[in-house]
Amino acid sequence: MPESDQPHDEVRVHETTPLIEPGHTFASVTDKISSLVLKRRTPLGWFIGFGISFMLFQLFMLAVTNLVFTGVGIFGTNQPVGWAMPIINFVWWIGIGHAGTLISAILLLLRQEWRTSINRFAEAMTLFAVACAGMYPVFHLGRPWLAYWLFPYPNTMGIWPQFRSPLMWDVFAVSTYATVSALFWFIGLIPDFATLRDRAKSRGWQILYGLLAMGWRGSARHWARYEMAYLLLAGLATPLVLSVHTIVSFDFAVAQLPGWHATIFPPYFVAGAIYAGFAMVLTLTIPLRKFYGLEDFITDRHLRNMAKVMLATGLIVAYGYMMEAFFGWYSANKYERFMIWNRMTGPYWQFYWALILCNIVTPQLLWIRRIRHSTLALFIISLVVGVGMWLERFVIVVTSLHRDFLPSSWGMYWPTVWDWSMFIGTIGLFLTLLFLFIRFLPIISIFEMRTILPQAEVEEEAA
Amino acid sequence: MAERTRVEQNLTYATPRESARYQQRALLVGALFLVLFIVGAFLPITIGGGIDQFFHSYLVGFMFWLGVAMGCLGLLMLQHLTGGAWGLVIRRVLEAGTRVLPLMFLLFLPLAIFGLPHLYEWMHRTEITEKALRAVLEAKKNYLNPTFFLIRAAVYFAIWFALMFFLNRWSADQDRTAERRYSKNMTALSGPGIILFVLTTTFASVDWVMSLDAEWFSTIYGLIYVAGWTLSAFSFVIAVMVWLATRPPLEGEVRAAHFHDLGKLLLAFVMLWAYFAFSQFLIIWSGNIPEEAEWYLNRLRGGWGWIGVAVVLLHFALPFVLLLSRDLKRNARRLATIALFILVMRFVDLYWLIVPEFNRGHFKFEWMSIVCPIAFGGLWIAFFFWQLRLRPLLPINDPYFDEAIEHGKHGGH
Repeated sequence: MPESDQPHDEVRVHETTPLIEPGHTFASVTDKISSLVLKRRTPLGWFIGFGISFMLFQLFMLAVTNLVFTGVGIFGTNQPVGWAMPIINFVWWIGIGHAGTLISAILLLLRQEWRTSINRFAEAMTLFAVACAGMYPVFHLGRPWLAYWLFPYPNTMGIWPQFRSPLMWDVFAVSTYATVSALFWFIGLIPDFATLRDRAKSRGWQILYGLLAMGWRGSARHWARYEMAYLLLAGLATPLVLSVHTIVSFDFAVAQLPGWHATIFPPYFVAGAIYAGFAMVLTLTIPLRKFYGLEDFITDRHLRNMAKVMLATGLIVAYGYMMEAFFGWYSANKYERFMIWNRMTGPYWQFYWALILCNIVTPQLLWIRRIRHSTLALFIISLVVGVGMWLERFVIVVTSLHRDFLPSSWGMYWPTVWDWSMFIGTIGLFLTLLFLFIRFLPIISIFEMRTILPQAEVEEEAA
Repeated sequence: MAERTRVEQNLTYATPRESARYQQRALLVGALFLVLFIVGAFLPITIGGGIDQFFHSYLVGFMFWLGVAMGCLGLLMLQHLTGGAWGLVIRRVLEAGTRVLPLMFLLFLPLAIFGLPHLYEWMHRTEITEKALRAVLEAKKNYLNPTFFLIRAAVYFAIWFALMFFLNRWSADQDRTAERRYSKNMTALSGPGIILFVLTTTFASVDWVMSLDAEWFSTIYGLIYVAGWTLSAFSFVIAVMVWLATRPPLEGEVRAAHFHDLGKLLLAFVMLWAYFAFSQFLIIWSGNIPEEAEWYLNRLRGGWGWIGVAVVLLHFALPFVLLLSRDLKRNARRLATIALFILVMRFVDLYWLIVPEFNRGHFKFEWMSIVCPIAFGGLWIAFFFWQLRLRPLLPINDPYFDEAIEHGKHGGH
């Protein structure tokens, strides 16, 4: 940078806070991150957190056991609301995963270096969220052991999936998404597995990490191939950010039901997914970096950038609600008008206005610089958005169904204790996986952090 | 500071002289075709003339060139928000593009004053006898009526002018004073500005085009225009940038790495437009509700379907495949060819959106709808070059100026 002596830093419009606090070296970065796994004694807080999560996970096991033995009748799902908590929670979880893919793939292609310290963590979150999401369609089948019937395979029963149905596309979209996310995550981990292998003291860990490192030696040829593979996978993962939630939105939009059949659904679902996902990344990152003292690596700048992404995607979601409401009225179609009016003033009006408050009103605080700079405020807003995005799916699914075309079959839906158990249980599953990840794998990419140190830049120029 | 002395040497990045010649020619072409177009209004219907035809074609030409100017406004705010070398090197072209908006306002006046009865069925609400349509128009009369329509149009233009005015003035002030606070102002305005841009574009597209069929509606419609207008502007800007970058003073300043970035963004906008347009089609096709499907049937039956297929193949598939190539994006001339091709396809798409509304069930080639865009285009381009020449071709006092130019010398990604 030839003008680095120019004193115009204070008037810069864009961020100049460093991505990594000054004073770190290659060795100190490696030490700090790998010691979380290898050296430091497992903190008591970890055991408490893991214990609570594991207990919630047992609630999930209980709910699922009851479900398999008794049947889907334990859920509140019934006519006219024939599609309730399972789809709401499926969409909620799968949406949360999208931030991980966006951070790891799209921001990589856009050369956004600030992604480096949060991508590993966000990718793990994606995987675990997709795992939670996957539970719902599988168990809601009623006979989950026949889940493989969803796949097109030659059989003597004359069963063939309906390929015109987006539910079928979902099977492929979500399984592709899970596969690519897992590959991406694992490949990103390989050089770090090698670091852990070389630093581990006990024979057992050396062998385990050594196996996972797949013979990584860090030669120039390894790196060249690695970079290429990583970039290709990023290219492959990019369309998935759009496609998965687009297809999820088609699940609703291709139907003729007012409230579902809206052409705005694809972009607004995708934006909502990224919105919820960034909210979840913030919800998890803020306590984590405090607890493990990672403020040097996950700086305030990261939080602020994520807040900005949240604000932008939140505005797209707001646009979606606005278009639904405007066209509901403009259409002059009595069913459309009734649907939007019923949402706002019908039996579930509290849900609609709570949704507006959580998803539209609250995030507007992020316009204020002081709020973006306050970790506590960001944490609270991210929680509120997480709730808001759940409410959004509730409103879309339930309010559209509970007043269908035939007034004689109108009814109400309320989740049963088993609906809630399974939902809270998947939160337990998610957190359990997350705690295991924090304990056994480097939560920040060690080698990528080294590349964004100022020292790395100097050497590149000298070469 | 080698880069600073460039300014001290009084290298002011003046627009190449040929632009004056281009401006004259564009004005000449514009004037000639405008005369032809106006004459067309008085020709008999049998040879494709007439006053109704005049306004149908007028709408096509107006919407096409409004899209280029508005797209420039949207992109200008986008690059203020995101930063980056790509935005800095095209900023002056975008600014000049936004300053054509007053011309678009002038062109809107005849439409607003004389055109409405020739275009919109909701203007004839009381004369319509078809029961179902009459009922829809009655239900929408609070929104679709001339007074409210004109009030809304005035609001759109007022917002667009305000955004254009401040963004251009602060940019000029920065050139003069080299004060960096103007960058801050422009970024601060662009946040809310882009929201206003998306909302006004949405409602303008509903008012001016969607309401041609008063019964039909689609919630993604506004976004298709947001993406489409931005794509029009981006194609136009790339073509102009290539022309500028191959001759002094920008020769050697705007380079392959810059075009590579612009090419990537062009590809992104092609995909975005296709994503919106296809989503709308798939959802309506799949739902197959008569009131809704009719809109597509009008655009698929009687030969119109071929235009639809052409839009899919040439507006999306071909540019998409070509723009994947790295070499092509770094080759300025080839990139410009694709960009101009996309601009032509933007017109074909608009023709397919508007003209079937007046010719349901049978394809019609309207010579007036070709003459009008050429007439308006001539005026537009003349106005654009006139505005472009008023300022340096690069924002010389932008805090990121040096970095953005450096990017062209090193950026090899």
